[in-house]
Order: sequence, then structure tokens, then C-alpha cells
Amino acid sequence: MEQLKKTAQTAIAALKANGADKAKCDVGYSITHEFNVDGGEFSLFRTLFDKHLVLTAIKDGKKGTVRQNRYDEATVASLAAACLDTAASSVSDPAWDIAPLTENHDFTFGVVNGDQERLFARCRELMDDVASRYPKILMEQMIVTHKEIGSVHANTNGVLQSEHCGYYSVELMFSAHEGEKSSSFFSSGFMTDHLDTPFIDCGSVAADLASVEKQIDTELLDGKFEGVLLLPPAATNAFLYYSLSNFVGDGALLQGTSPWKDQLGKVVADPAITLTVAPLDDRMVCGDRVTSDGLIAENYDILRDGVLNQFAISQYVANKTGLTMAPNGASTGNLILKAGERSLDEIIASIDRGILVGRFSGGNPSSNGDFSGVAKNSFLIENGKITKALSETMISGNLATMMQNLYAISRETVSDGNSVLPYTAFRGITVSGK
Amino acid sequence: MLNDLVTEKKHLFADGVNTELRAQTNLTRGVSIVNGNLTGNIRNENTGVSARVYANGVYGFSSTAEYSDEAVTAVLKAASENAAFMATHAGKNKGMLPSLSTGASLTAIDISDPEQRVYIEYAKALDAYIAEKYPTLLARVISVRADSMEKVIAVSNGFDSHSVMPRSYVYVVLTAATPDGRPVELYDVFGGYGTFDTLFQDPAACYARIDTLYERIMEKANGVYAEAGEKTVILGGILSGMLAHEAVGHTVEADLVLGGSVAAHALHRRVASDLVTMIDYAHTAFGEAVPLPIYADDEGTEATDAVLIENGILTGYMNSRASAEHFGMTPTGNARAYNFSDEPLIRMRNTAILPGTSKLEDMIASVEDGYYFCNTNNGQADTTGEFMFGVTGGYEIKNGKLGRPILDTTISGVAFEMLQTVDMVSDEIVWASSGMCGKKQPMPVGMGGPALRCKVTVGGK
Repeated sequence: MEQLKKTAQTAIAALKANGADKAKCDVGYSITHEFNVDGGEFSLFRTLFDKHLVLTAIKDGKKGTVRQNRYDEATVASLAAACLDTAASSVSDPAWDIAPLTENHDFTFGVVNGDQERLFARCRELMDDVASRYPKILMEQMIVTHKEIGSVHANTNGVLQSEHCGYYSVELMFSAHEGEKSSSFFSSGFMTDHLDTPFIDCGSVAADLASVEKQIDTELLDGKFEGVLLLPPAATNAFLYYSLSNFVGDGALLQGTSPWKDQLGKVVADPAITLTVAPLDDRMVCGDRVTSDGLIAENYDILRDGVLNQFAISQYVANKTGLTMAPNGASTGNLILKAGERSLDEIIASIDRGILVGRFSGGNPSSNGDFSGVAKNSFLIENGKITKALSETMISGNLATMMQNLYAISRETVSDGNSVLPYTAFRGITVSGK
Repeated sequence: MLNDLVTEKKHLFADGVNTELRAQTNLTRGVSIVNGNLTGNIRNENTGVSARVYANGVYGFSSTAEYSDEAVTAVLKAASENAAFMATHAGKNKGMLPSLSTGASLTAIDISDPEQRVYIEYAKALDAYIAEKYPTLLARVISVRADSMEKVIAVSNGFDSHSVMPRSYVYVVLTAATPDGRPVELYDVFGGYGTFDTLFQDPAACYARIDTLYERIMEKANGVYAEAGEKTVILGGILSGMLAHEAVGHTVEADLVLGGSVAAHALHRRVASDLVTMIDYAHTAFGEAVPLPIYADDEGTEATDAVLIENGILTGYMNSRASAEHFGMTPTGNARAYNFSDEPLIRMRNTAILPGTSKLEDMIASVEDGYYFCNTNNGQADTTGEFMFGVTGGYEIKNGKLGRPILDTTISGVAFEMLQTVDMVSDEIVWASSGMCGKKQPMPVGMGGPALRCKVTVGGK
């Protein structure tokens, strides 16, 4: 890491020597070991050695950024000059700035050194577990990785932060088959910093495999109804992502299209909704310690008891809009949604008519929050019971309305190393058959 | 251009295994202007070398972000060791892959790399034109993206190659307010194969299409929601190209067939009406270069067209060398990698439904109560062939005439069922190439199609 720090300081000096008023540098490397399964069989082992050098310069209010995947002495010098050339062509904007110096840290976390043999053994074990416990499942693809990352963030305000971390990640895509019949595909995955637990017991892997096995025989929905949308944690994450992007993110605030743009400090969601960005939570694996702006990362609430507490915006958008920059800039990774008090079974038992949607296949919702798409990996809920798997069923609604029409949040949560999320249910969703 | 440091290392290739060496540079230049604010201004370069070794039915791969004699030798050694690890732990008792015809495909040419100010000035000119002429818009975004991919490939058996693929695009996104103040969006994209300075010389060349885009977004702001249910529709060429790629193309990629796609059980069966023929073109179609031509793939297979559906019958898959051996088919050059650090995957190239004989106006006139869908911003499909497309632009058709514009909606169906409802195919093909296909790695792809009359499920509201 000391060598990376020296490179970063050399780059900052070169940017200043080329005329930068303010500048920042992000330099680092990654080493990846990855096992792949394709079509149910082991197929590939790959090792990747990568580097990055990202330089940003601001001169006379004009900003430019250049990136290259090497950081030898000659590259640093030539890229610093290219960075100033890029900035010179830009448009002057006083909103561009760099992070102030607070306190410099060297962070080391996660599992920096992976265990290749043990990792492969866990992969083999997972394939064997799936074959014995879920015989209808075909593992279309499995990507299992150990990644070591070292990076340094520096700027002309004296910021010099380093991060050295490592993690394991597992990504699965699978479907269930019986003769010529098959389910839709489904994805599951998690990150971890140890290999002590069989993969099938991590995240929601076992529950997802079991659910997909029940989706081979599907039925069409007759007609259309308005009911409750029940989302497992992974699907909850997808809807939260859409909502944050449309309502509290950089693009929506800068364009002025966010329906929440004037709602800071006001109630925008059901009082049971508290949504936290939590990279420092113990359950997150390698959450950011340093933001892309070079600040020390913090946990903070976007929504607290239904009230809009903070937009997730960068320093630039904060300066443009007069709003307060988020502690972690525009990043909304590592979400925690506060759990509820009812069990999943109790919630299902209370739903007269609704739909459980494992995966939403739809276009990006409109900027006003309207969405419609296919309810993949879904089940009909009738009179408090999950009755049948569905196909060719669509759901539509509005994200902003949904946040106000919360039906329930489960007390069970799934922690997959990236987020800690419960099941969520919302009223007033239109469900239509073919 | 990249120096060739890989061909001379062929003497290091081990006997009895298949080996590929690939040096690669990807360049990206990007500029974004949001409501007059220059929010993105970036130049990116990725260069490195990778090796892949096939032994005992499994692959070892390694890459490094350097390109030197030492780096080439190092990745070759690491890939061989990785292949040995896999062969020991998960080998399949297989020999080498079937031999290919050998040769060289040297199509790379020197391409220009304009200074950043060229992209910025062009984007600023378009932004200023819109800001001045259409001040009531809620928002406007101009994005410029130019990228290129240069590869030098040496293989133990097959076609060595040196290629370059430059693309340049300008995206214009306009947002208007509906009468009750809700935002609606519509976008257009200009550009295609080539460097920015050859495709974009005068911003005024885009003005007419921007004017049309403005007219359409203002129409859309006063549009109506589509009615939900199964409808007879005309899918414009952009949507039928999306259909060819997302809903059919992915299901006939042989790796997804092995993963259990619907096409596993559909070979030589009817999957579409007689009017539908679909081909994944390599480099030439209808006597002209396709949007993103490929002459040899990253495994050393000389690229030829892959005929997927012929007069409604599923006739083939797209393959890598290994999957072609599995299915007893001939590989046609579909194995491609996005970055130097990516392994080749089975990818589409320029996938199209072929044009028919009908005129678009006659097709619209033939619909009593339905829709003409002409813009999309997104498409997804399942390995079952069930698909969903976001529709961002279109019109009602009432009694054979175009009616009111529609607000955003979603259409869905099951590809091999929906294609059997196709009963009219227009005589003009529309190509698109500005997007990236996502499948473990991104990849530039071309897609095309004529207008189709068919039945789909409309999401409505």
C-alpha cells in the first residue's frame, strides 16, 4: 500500500505541476480468482491481475477525468497532462469541488488472502448439495470469486486514504426442469468473508432453490385485480433501487424530475419504513470505508420513520441544488430496511388477494415512478394461502404511491453481505393476466 | 495500433491442448450534459493481455493489465496452470477441440482518436440548440459516447486475427411535463460504426431529428395509457430487432441451451410462422456491411452467418468451439470477449429477422383496434422465451388509422408462441447498434428487423 500511496502523491504533484487548481487521484489494483460452472458442469478457472489509475483535475472551474489501467511512472506523467487537456475543454462550473481533509486512515478489512483449494471444495459441495436436495434444479451458471483489492484515494486538500480488503462472492443462475417443462431462471447470490459455512446455507440460496423447484408448472391468471404485492428480500432490493434512483439520486435531483425534490423533512413513506445506507454495519462484507469523493464513509438514514431524512447525492449535485451532500455521496449500496414485527407466515395468512413476485422483469420505471412489467418467479396468494405459480402475469403501479401504501414488513431478514432486508408487502398493485 | 507480441509466442503453446493468446485495448470517450451542466467528461483506456488454455474438457484463463513480452509469457504460464488445476479437479476425459480451417484475418486499420474538446463542442452545440429553441422542456440530456475495441489474437489452431471496432453515438433525451405536471421522456440516438470525427462533423445534421423528437415528446405529454390485454399490434423495426436479440437470440445461444433454455427441445420444430426467418449475420447482409462486422472470433473461428430460424423452423444455435463439438454443429464465430480480462463467451453479432413483402402503411391499415409500437428503452427475456419490452413511444390504431400517442407501457409474450402469430412482415429492415448486451460481460451487438404484425400482451396501467 505504501507504493500505491507514493504513486498517488506523485500523480497529485504532476496534476498540480500541470496547472490543476484542485485534483484527486484514485489508484489501485485487484487480484481475482474465479471458478465457473456452466450448464451444470465446472468449466473455467481464471486469475486476473488488474490495475487502475483515475485522475481528476479542476482548473478555472473546469473538470476533466481520465482513467487508465496501469500506473507506471511514465503513465502517471502522461495521464496527468492528458487530464488537464481534458479539463481545459470542459465548461466552467463552480459546483465542482473535492473532498475536504478530515482525518486520514489506512483501512484493512475482509479476507485479503483467499484459500483456493477450500473455495473450490465449497463450490463442489454446493453442486453436490443442489443435486441431492433439489434434483430438478439445473445450475445454468455459477461464478465464485475471491477478490483482493488495494486502493488509495488522494487529493490536493491532503486526503490520503487507503483501503486493503478481500472477499468471496457467489453468483448463481438456475432454473428447474422436468422433461420439456421448465421454470423461469432465477438468480441468487451473496458475499462472505469466510468459508466456514456451506454455501447452500448462505444468503437466501436454499429458499430460492426450493421456490424455483415449485415453479415448473405454472398457470395463467384470469383477468385483472388490485391486490397486495409481496416481495422477497432480493426483489425488495430491486424496488428500493428503482425508488432511490428516481426520487433521491443525483440524476433525479439534477434534472429536477424527482417527485420528492421538495419533500426533505416531510413524510413521504409509511411510518414503518426506515431505510439506512450502512457500509460500516458488521453484516456487510467489504462495505466502502472511503467514498468516491474521498470522504470517510458513514452509516446514515435516507428515510427515518417515513420521513425523508437525506438525499443520496454527490458533492457536485449538492452544490448545484443547495441541498446537503450525503455522507457517502451518491452511493446507495449496503441498504438496511428496518424489520417489522409480523412473521412472513402471518403476513401471507392475512392477505386476501395478492401476488408473491420473486423477480420483476420490467423497464426502468418512468421518472414519475410509474412502473409495469412481468411478474417472474411469481405465485398467486388467495385467502391467506400461496395457491399456484403464475406465468405471463404483469404488475403495475407507482413507486411513490407504493412507499405510502405499505402493507407489512416481515420480522425475518436476509443478510447476503450486501444488504440486510426483510420481506415487504404493498397495497394497491394492479395484477393482470394474459 | 497494438504491436503484435503474441504471434511470436506460439512456440510456447503446449501440445495436446487448445491455446489462445489475446492482446486488447478498449478506449472509451464520454461526455454528458444535463440541463446545460457538463456532468461527465471522461477518457478511459484499458490495455492488457490474456491467455486461455483448453485441456481435458475445461478451461484455464489468466490476464494481466500489462502488455510486454514478459506479461505474455506470464499469462500463458498462469492459464496453463489454471487449466491443469481444473483438469485435475473437474476434468471430463476429453481431448482437443475439433480442428478449424486456418488462416489470418487482418482487418485492423489505424483509427483516429479525437481530442476531448471535439466531443464536448458537439454536445454543447446540440444542448444550446435545444435550450434556445425548446425552453419549456422539463429536462434535456445530451450524452456522447465513443468506444473502440482492438484485438490481436494468436491461436494454436484456427484463424489468427488483428481487428478494430470503433463505434460513436450521440444520445438525446428530452423530458416534458404532462398537463398534470408529471414528467415523460423520449430519446433518440444517432451514430453507428466509425470514429466520432467521421460520423459527426456538423451538429446541424442532427437538428431535424431533434425537432421530430421534440414534436413527439410534446405529443406524448398529452398521450393516453394503453389498454391492458392481448392486442393485435404492429411492432416497429427497433422492437422486432429487440425481439430477435432478447427473446429469441439468447435462447439459441448454445451455452444457454445447455443451461436449459426452451430451445433445447425445439430444434427442427416450428417456432414461428412461415414468414419468419432469422439470421445472426457475421459481417455482410443484403450486399452491405452490417452495423458491427466480425470476420473472425476470439477462438480463431472464421466468422460466417448463423441461420437460426428458416421459414418458421428452428434450424440452429450460435456456438463456441466447445458447444459446437457437443451439439455436432459447425461453429460460426460467435465466441467473443469484451475486455482483455474477459474470456470469450457465445455472443450475438448482428441478429436480425429478415424483411418480408408488406408495406408498413398497409399493415397499419389492416388493424382495426390495436397499437403501433415504435420506441423502446429496455428489453428482457427469460430462458423460457418469455419476454418483456418497455415501450416508450407508440400510437393507437383505430379502424386502420394511427390515433392518439400513448404513454409508457410494457409488452410481453412468449417468443416461440408470439412469433407464430406473425402474419405480416414489412419490406424494410431497421438496424440498431448503440446498446450493450449484458451476459456476464457487456458486448456491442447489432440487431435489426422489419415491422411485424402480431399479437402481444400489453401491460397498460
